[in-house]
Amino acid sequence: MPTPSPERPIVIKLLEAPFEPLELLAAWQRSFGAAGTAAESHFIGRVRPTTASGAPLEALELEHYPGMSETQLRAIAGAGAARHGVGAVLVAHRVGRIAPGEAIVLVAVQADRRGPALRCVQELLENLKHHAPFWKREWSGGRGTWVAGNTPL
Amino acid sequence: MHRRPVVAPSPDLATAVRVRLFAALRERAGWAERLVPLAASPTSAADLWQRLALDDGSAAGAAGLPPTIRVAINQAFASADTPLRPGDEVAFLPPITGG
Repeated sequence: MPTPSPERPIVIKLLEAPFEPLELLAAWQRSFGAAGTAAESHFIGRVRPTTASGAPLEALELEHYPGMSETQLRAIAGAGAARHGVGAVLVAHRVGRIAPGEAIVLVAVQADRRGPALRCVQELLENLKHHAPFWKREWSGGRGTWVAGNTPL
Repeated sequence: MHRRPVVAPSPDLATAVRVRLFAALRERAGWAERLVPLAASPTSAADLWQRLALDDGSAAGAAGLPPTIRVAINQAFASADTPLRPGDEVAFLPPITGG
């Protein structure tokens, strides 16, 4: 049985400038102290170099609903953490103009065992892609096109 | 008796709702945010969608709220049929593409 954490530290970061996911992860891990954790699962999403139609991508623009985006990320993370009985959760999400190769999202989950950690990361990622108010616009050839839907899992 | 104002007063949040549009919807409509006075009868987000003619004009007549558009009231997802109250913030959200 997974041991539910009495307090599930949920950290949500909305970032307007490029971030280095490994540095964020390192700081997050340090917050657990010397004992560390038994299991962690991480996902890093980066901007791919082509548009949905295969053209070279200049940049991805991320619009969001300030206020609601953070509230929704926190609600999604909290519900997922409770459902899977995991400990700490970190979600970092870029907004604004993002260059190909730059990180756009980081999801990290700490748990007692690999199963809950892995399952929780996957569920959080899918939920935030569909239920947190973010919208992508691809810039290519000086023109912006709103992305119609998420890529398949 | 007080004088009638020469210029119609802009609606304030005591009698109006704040309507917000995002992404493709905002660009299609040409505005991001607007104060809209509430009618005397109960008004829902679905009513506002028709009243503000937010459909893309491709459907014949006044098109209802498409199933792809989600509604948030006061920054939480809500049913499009929820009666609005003065001061509410109503947002129409096109399909979400986060992560």
